[in-house]
This record gives sequence, C-alpha cells and structure tokens, in this order.
Amino acid sequence: MHKHFQQDQVSMLKEKLKAGELSRRGFLQGLALLGGTSALGLTAGSAHAADKEMVFVNWGGDAIDAMAEAFGKGYAAESGVNVLYDGSGPLEGSIKAQAESGNPTWDLVDCDPFSGQALGKLGLMRPIDWDVVDPGKLRDGFQWEYAANSYFYSYVIVYDKTKYDTPPTSMADFFDADKFPGKRAMYKWGVGMWEAALLADGVAPEDLYPLDLERAHAKIEGFKEHIGAYWGGGAESQSLLLNGDVSMAIIWNTRAMLLDRDTEGEIAMTWAEGIVAPGSTGVLMNNPAGEKAAMEYIAYSQEPEAQAKLFALLGNGPANPAADALIPDADKFYNPVDPANFAQQTPLDMEWYEENYGAALDAYLGVISA
Amino acid sequence: MSRLLLLSPLLLFLGLAYLLPLSGVMLQSVTTPEPGLQNYSAALGDPLVWSVIWRTLRICLCVTVLAVVLAYPLTLLWIKGNTTTRVFIELAIMIPFWLSVLSRAFGWLSLLSNRGLINTWLQSLGIIAEPLTLVRNEFGVIIGMMHFLIPFAVFPLASAMRAVDDRVILAARGMGASRMQIFWQIFVPMTKSGIVGAALLVFVFSLGFYIVPTLLGGGRSVMIAELIYLRIFQIPNWGLAAALSALLMVSIGAFLVALIKRAGVSS
Repeated sequence: MHKHFQQDQVSMLKEKLKAGELSRRGFLQGLALLGGTSALGLTAGSAHAADKEMVFVNWGGDAIDAMAEAFGKGYAAESGVNVLYDGSGPLEGSIKAQAESGNPTWDLVDCDPFSGQALGKLGLMRPIDWDVVDPGKLRDGFQWEYAANSYFYSYVIVYDKTKYDTPPTSMADFFDADKFPGKRAMYKWGVGMWEAALLADGVAPEDLYPLDLERAHAKIEGFKEHIGAYWGGGAESQSLLLNGDVSMAIIWNTRAMLLDRDTEGEIAMTWAEGIVAPGSTGVLMNNPAGEKAAMEYIAYSQEPEAQAKLFALLGNGPANPAADALIPDADKFYNPVDPANFAQQTPLDMEWYEENYGAALDAYLGVISA
Repeated sequence: MSRLLLLSPLLLFLGLAYLLPLSGVMLQSVTTPEPGLQNYSAALGDPLVWSVIWRTLRICLCVTVLAVVLAYPLTLLWIKGNTTTRVFIELAIMIPFWLSVLSRAFGWLSLLSNRGLINTWLQSLGIIAEPLTLVRNEFGVIIGMMHFLIPFAVFPLASAMRAVDDRVILAARGMGASRMQIFWQIFVPMTKSGIVGAALLVFVFSLGFYIVPTLLGGGRSVMIAELIYLRIFQIPNWGLAAALSALLMVSIGAFLVALIKRAGVSS
C-alpha cells in the first residue's frame, strides 16, 4: 500500500513539473522531501566535502541525481553525510532480501510502519533511537519501535458531482447504490477498505479494531456488482474517475486533491469517514552508514518547514503537528491531519496490520476476484 | 565432442545464470521457513490459490484458442497473398510486436473504457444507450493478451504453411477437390504441427502474464504470476512463493510433454 502510495507521489510531482505548476527547484525539493527530508548532492567540488554517504531508498526514478543540487546541503553541512537516493523501491520483500544478506547497501527506507515493525521483530531493522528522533515532534500514537512517522495520507471518498444532487457524507452512502447509483472503485490491496465496509455496516469508528473481517468481506461481497474496478495505483484511481469508468471511489487524498483542482470541483472529495494512514522511515539493521547518521537524518526530517513543504508539493499531511500552522489557510482543507479534517476520520491501527495484513489481504483478494 | 565444446559457453552461462538460481528457488520451496512440504500443502490447501489457478487456466485457454484461430487466416494471407497484402500484414504484425506491452495495454484501455473510442462511437451511432463494460474485467484481459500473443502464433504457423508442398494442393485441385475440401482436408492437416506449436507457444507464454491482467483486469483478474509477486514482495512468504513457482513450472513442463507426445511432433 504504502509503496504504491510513495511511487504515486513521484509521478504526481513529474506531472506537475510537466504542467509547469512546479519549478524545477520545487520538483527537486519534493523528491528530496519524499526521501525523508533532505537529499544531498554528490556534486564534485561541493563545498561540503562529505566523508560519508548514506543511501535512502524511495521511489524516485531518473530525477534523483539532480536532487543533490537542490537540497540536502543543510543536512550535509550539519552532519558531513551525503545522502544518495536510490529509486529502486523498498518493497517489503526487497528490504528483507537486503537485510537478510547481513551486509545491506541500503541505510534508510520508506516503509509502512507495520512492515517496519514486522521486519524489526525479525531483527532486520534498527530500533528508532527516540533520544535522537524527537517523539514530541510527532502526533500522539504515531511513534513505533522500528519506524518513525514521516507523513500522513488518507483514503477518502471522491464522487462525480455532476451525477449526484446531494453529496455522499458517509461510508454507508458509498455502499448505497440505490441512493447513489453508479459504479464504484476501491483499493485493490485491501488497506482502508475493510474499515470502510465496517463503517458502512454500522460499526462505530472506535469499535473498528480488531477488524471483523468476515463482516467486512460479506459487506463487500454483497456490493461487488457495483464495483467497476479495484485500483492498484494512484494514477489509475484518478483516471477511473476522469474517464467516467466509475462515479464514486475511495482513493488517496493526494489524488483526490488533484481531481478536485483539475476538474474545478466537478469531481469532489469529502473527509467524512476517511481513513488516515501514516507513512514512515525505517533503518536497516547493520546499515552501512551506521546508526547515528541514520537517526540524525530522520530527526532532521522532522523540521516543520520541511514537513509543510512536502504538503505544499504533494498534499501529504505533516507528521509534525507544528507544521499544520505553516500551511496557508486556503490549502488547509486538503491537509489530511488538519484538526478539522482529522476529527472526521479514523487512523489505521498499525498493530492490527502488523499481525493480520497478510491473511486479510489473501481473503480480500479471494472475495474481490471470485 | 567439438559440438559440446562449442556449446559450453552457453551451457555454462545457463547453468550459472539460470539453473543455479532456479535450483535455489526449488530448494527454498522445501526449506523455508523449515524443511518439509508444508509450503506445498499450504499452497494447495488455499482456496485463493485454486481460484487463481482456475482463472489463469481459463483465461489462458481462451487466449490460446482465440489467438491461434485468428492467427491462422492472417498467416495464410501473409504467406499466400499478393505483395500489397503481405506488406500490410507484415506491418500489422510487426509494429505491435515491437511495441512495449505497457503501451499496448494502455492503448486498449483508451479504446475500451467507458468513455473510450468504441463506447463513444457506439453511443453516438445510437446503437447502445449505456456504455458497455469492455475492460477492467476478464474480457479486457483476454483481448489484451490475445493481441499481444497473435504474432507468437503467426511465426510457427507460417513456417508450417511454408513447408506445405504446393504440388500437393495442385494435385488435389487436379483430382477435383473443392477449395473448402482442399483447405480442410489437405492444408489444415498438413499444418497441424504449426497449429500445435503455435498453441503451445501462446499457452505457455500466456501463463506467466503479469502486466496485462494487472492493467486491464480491473484489479480483480489476479493471475498466478501476480500471486507469486504478491508472495515475494507484498506480503513476503518466500517459501510459499517458491512452492507456487515450482508448481507452475512443473505443471507447464508436464503439460508440454503430454501435448508434444500426443501431437506426435517429437522432432
């Protein structure tokens, strides 16, 4: 889920850059932020001749090389450690392969907190050093042993305004094809969808966990005929709505924001009963650059200015609540963790996912593909 | 002996780059996380695996039959047609053959989606009121895979058709056979090896498809390759992934042997 989300961020940045909405510098800043916060150049003749290097694995692609010039200087000046961005993608299986070799080439990865936790308990990730990384700069409940929250995103309802006189205001509306006729789209990898189904079925947000999978799957099974597609990536979710393949969907807030802006509100979003997901940074066990540099890097990425910048570029919610205030009023509506928006939503329970995600996804795929 | 010597670089390469890792995968299927056959029993006891296997077979068989049936007349025209026809068909086969599977899948999406070309035309002609669901389902997957695989059916068919001795056809015509008789009773049986070869190639190739079902299947047409991917990367369970890969490989192998024996194309 998270990895797909991450990959999506980079493609959104690229699209913006192409559309001229984003300066080259802003683009590079965005990429660097995605990596955690700062990226660092290895430009020859750099004023900060760093003696060490660190590899952060994210979903970058071609533009990574150029990140050097735009960012990271601050972090390099502070630490003397250059950060190289590797876009090969820290899939959970790939992290495992790296870490199990005992001699990884990766230092930091962008991972789901529950993946980080699961891998950490196998001895493959370093515990986060909460003396270096500041737990006070994170929202309550989003500190983990092996993963440090780096931003938020949400699963929210978007709908084609031209098709409905009244907007949907709950997951029950999403699952009600009589009241809101038209095809729907849901997420292929299950996350957030069980919660949506249970909320629609009348479960109170505070009673969601542990998820009653049987009940959720029965709800989805009964609604399946109305589902036009299960999207696997952000661009796909966006095109499903733009192409008119579906008229309502649960998608990432970052894509919802783009749809809302690009269609001038014709495809609108609501935070009502949205599901908030945390993204995080993890450190591989025996990472080549060592524990200290990796932890300091994460600490550096907590700065409110950097967090607000990430939101400005992509719509990711800041992990550091101090950044909320730095967001211009006009854009606050799009911040998934803005107090007004957060209050309407439910956060994912990472502990539940750590224990149950594999089996739950299996069952979910069995339901949606049958 | 000298033949073996000439082959040795290739054999060495295949051994190191293919057989060795492959045996590693096979070994993992019976050793991860602990020695035993539990990965196989888990794989075969999982209803999801069975539904995916069944869907994979169903889609691949449809694709194989359609691709070979459509490729046959196409190849015939290519071999026997006049120069213009040949050039045209050659382009029609080769251009998509060189295009990436991704762009072809996206092409189909824009043709077949609700506001795609086909639905727009049909609606503006007044033939349909509501858009037809042509993609993001198994139908879309079959179309996309078939289109990708038709060239792979054309080449074995073409070599079989080229091998048909024209004098046999002439003789049949001289004996008073009708065109239909010549085609069904002489030509088709004589190209049987090509048909079997084409079907085998398409079927075996189709079993491992990943991108097309992912993009055109609307998320619900999970095939075996995607399930293996899931077990390696998404929810890592490498022992299970290895067992699934082994099952896929062995069943393809058994299938090939059986078909080749049956069709008598042992050469």
